[in-house]
Amino acid sequence: MGELFRRLRYLLQRRRLDRELENEMEFHREMAAREGRRNFGNTLRLREQSREAWGWTWIDRLLQDLRYAARMLWRSPGFAITAMVVLALGIGVSVTAFSLLNMLALKLLPVRDPASIVRLQRRSPENITSETPYTSFLFYRDHVKTLSAMFATLGAPAMEMDDDLKPVSINYVTANYFSELGGEAVTGRLFNVTQDASANAPPAVVLGYDLWQQRFDGDPHIVGKVIRLNKKPVTVVGVTDKNFVSVGGQYSDVWLPLIQQPYFVQGSTALNDAAGGAGVRMWGRLAPGVTAKMAEQELLTLTNELRKQSPKLVWDKEYIRSDPGGHLQVMQPEMYRAFAMIAALVLLIFIVACTNLGGLMMARGVTREHEIGIRLAIGASRKRIFRQLFTESVLLALLGSFAGLALSYTGLRIMCAVFPTPAWMSFAPDWRVMLFTVGMAFLAAVFFGLAPSLQIARQRQRKTMARQVLVAVQIAASCILLIISGLLVHAVHHMLYSEPGFGYEQVIGISPGLDSHGYKPEAATAYIQTLKARLLGTPGVASVALSKISLLGNGFSAYMTVDMNGRAVNVYPNWIDPEFFKTMEIPLLRGRNLFPGETHAVVVSESLARRQWPGQEALGKKFGDVKDLVVGVAGDARIKSLNDGDATEVYWATQATDMPSMTLLVKTAGAPDGLVPQAKSIVESLDPKLFPYIWLLKSGFRDYTKILENTALGASVLGLLAVLMAAVGIIGLVAYAVSQRTKEIAIRIALGAKPLHVLSVVLRQFLVPVLCGALAGAAVTAAVSQFLRKILYGISNLDPIGYAGGIGVLIAIATVAALLPARRALHVDPVRALHEE
Amino acid sequence: MPISIMPKTDMPPGALTLLILRVLHSGSLHGYAIAQRIHVLSSEVLAVEEGSLYPSLQKMLLKGWVTADWGISETNRKVRFYRLTPAGRKQLQAEISSYDRVTEAIQTILRTA
Repeated sequence: MGELFRRLRYLLQRRRLDRELENEMEFHREMAAREGRRNFGNTLRLREQSREAWGWTWIDRLLQDLRYAARMLWRSPGFAITAMVVLALGIGVSVTAFSLLNMLALKLLPVRDPASIVRLQRRSPENITSETPYTSFLFYRDHVKTLSAMFATLGAPAMEMDDDLKPVSINYVTANYFSELGGEAVTGRLFNVTQDASANAPPAVVLGYDLWQQRFDGDPHIVGKVIRLNKKPVTVVGVTDKNFVSVGGQYSDVWLPLIQQPYFVQGSTALNDAAGGAGVRMWGRLAPGVTAKMAEQELLTLTNELRKQSPKLVWDKEYIRSDPGGHLQVMQPEMYRAFAMIAALVLLIFIVACTNLGGLMMARGVTREHEIGIRLAIGASRKRIFRQLFTESVLLALLGSFAGLALSYTGLRIMCAVFPTPAWMSFAPDWRVMLFTVGMAFLAAVFFGLAPSLQIARQRQRKTMARQVLVAVQIAASCILLIISGLLVHAVHHMLYSEPGFGYEQVIGISPGLDSHGYKPEAATAYIQTLKARLLGTPGVASVALSKISLLGNGFSAYMTVDMNGRAVNVYPNWIDPEFFKTMEIPLLRGRNLFPGETHAVVVSESLARRQWPGQEALGKKFGDVKDLVVGVAGDARIKSLNDGDATEVYWATQATDMPSMTLLVKTAGAPDGLVPQAKSIVESLDPKLFPYIWLLKSGFRDYTKILENTALGASVLGLLAVLMAAVGIIGLVAYAVSQRTKEIAIRIALGAKPLHVLSVVLRQFLVPVLCGALAGAAVTAAVSQFLRKILYGISNLDPIGYAGGIGVLIAIATVAALLPARRALHVDPVRALHEE
Repeated sequence: MPISIMPKTDMPPGALTLLILRVLHSGSLHGYAIAQRIHVLSSEVLAVEEGSLYPSLQKMLLKGWVTADWGISETNRKVRFYRLTPAGRKQLQAEISSYDRVTEAIQTILRTA
């Protein structure tokens, strides 16, 4: 302890103590000289040896190395700037990805005590859902001890406010929602347990800040005003603060008390019909000193108790999983796969940047041969030179890293300005991002600086082997990125310019939402029949069909995974009426259509027939667990999974029990856009309490392709960034190879070598690494393509065009990058070049 | 021919520390005087060089065995005088006894082997 203290005190008084030592040793020599003894030796070196006892000399050396490194970089600004740009790009991409991850999953939300909030989810070995029946929620809430509070939200379709054209997004929340999150009202009050926990309380609404500003111009007297939501009058009780943050990324224009949901959706049984009704999202707050595991334990006991009371509500082996809920995105184990994928992609960019810079460092090592030779000659150790060179790399990496951080921050700020982001969301780098940036800088320094520094310190920089490996790695990494973007671009192209197998341009979808208003099958059948007749009587309507699954609009997508001849195949089911195939322009290839209400009969898609009964006639076969007879084979129409080339479909005839959740598809003779308001008024005129959801299938299709297009665009930008960096690297290395071999080239030209031969001399050494890199990249992509398909939907397994496109772009750019500087070799003037030596 | 105590000689390691501790036992001295005293007391057999004396002294300062105070030399110059601390005294005792044990052991081998 005392030793450490003395060591630190020495560090603080280092300059004075060093001066004293110098004095002392000078005195020693004087005295020795006086007595006729001579003392030889380097006084500076002796003093340094004495100082070493304190263990601080590394600081001096580090500062010395840093000063020297800064001077070296300052003296070669071209190199320093190139290196910093390359690093800023390479590291900036990673920092951006990390900042987003940080924002989504690592930072705690600015709500009250975010660390103790947990999101609760029902799981069993077979099922996962975020939605819990409201009655189950009440049971947990009333019995749980390990959670100090539980709250819930219920999402619902957007509502019509007064007579506005634009619907408002809504969320039902429990009365304790705002107090648990620590939300404040900017005017009026938010919900509270005393006033809003009863179904009989007067209907109340809390407005979101943005809606209050935009729709009501921030009216200070808004509290007490009555507005109409889906034509139901409701009193505004308050407005949330500008900085109010909700959990689970749920933003909504207005908030309604969960208990009053039946008032807004007339006839709804969501809150009391436990088995069939909608579910709420459950959240909890861990009691002090309770861990998530303890809470899960208690909830499991409660789940088992609940099973005894109402067996219908609980699955086999059901348990409640808790996840930290105080983050913007509650991370699920399933999501980490996507993050791993993104991490892998940005790391590829990072690798390209580092190997690229490694090549530059090596080439630079040759120009510094002279300097390093002199330093070795006057007694510097190789270790010391290596340390100095590596310090230079670290300094460069840190500069590049922070340039990358600045770049990333700017990019994220622009993103925030372009896309609507809540006011509290800030991408200003916090300690995690800083730590990540510094960490990446050191990683980069090791990647690009370690090997070249060793090579240079050992004076082996002229070896071509290391350089070839670097080129190969760069090419391989860019190749992977380019092939992935090639696959995505091709998938988008395929989707946009090939026949999807169904018609969507002239179709609108109508979801009357009968089930949410408590319609029973008989009433629903009658309603649907009337609606169908009214729609068919509307001018411009060509046909009307029924489909239980909502197509190209909101609504869930269900599929089953069936084992067919040893392969897992996704089967998308639908329940339809006979008009469906005609309306959606899906060809019926063989057999016949389904009859209305027919049971034990099924129409399968051609792809399913091929998979299930390869080489056989599917008609007359039995399909599924209940052995339905295959009566027809329809063309492939992957409406529910547009870019999954392996998807198959199966159709059953609708039954009366399907009617409450039925959607209608209306095909028009001309453009369908004008029909939307007309259809809305027809639906509402038949039953004024309904609020139908009506959509154009073509906009659903466009939204879908947009997502894929954006993914493809992102991957292409990354791929091009990688290949451009690789190109810059190749240009530098070829130029260096030319200058290194000027003499040899001059001799060859003097002896009459042909231009092609001269070029091959320079370029031969790059041919093998480029080809190896491209092959390795293609091999790696092919190896992981199964995995890629799971995350980047839409790319097909071994798409030759995607691969050829990616590799083609790569080879073309590499060739241009190599030929540009190589041309200089042809212009070497043998006479002058040989004279110079 | 004096044997010089340089960093790399056949002197047993730690011997210089022991000698410095011993000469400081009788009173505080400055660096040069320490070297002189060792030289004289060893009948001019041992010569302590700067290159080993000052690193040793720095290490002893770090260990807390000696402290340095300002004083005036015989030539009327301001120099640092080294003085043994209680920790240094203890260290001296420990080193002497371990030195005795080692030399005794060596002597035994020389006599009997």
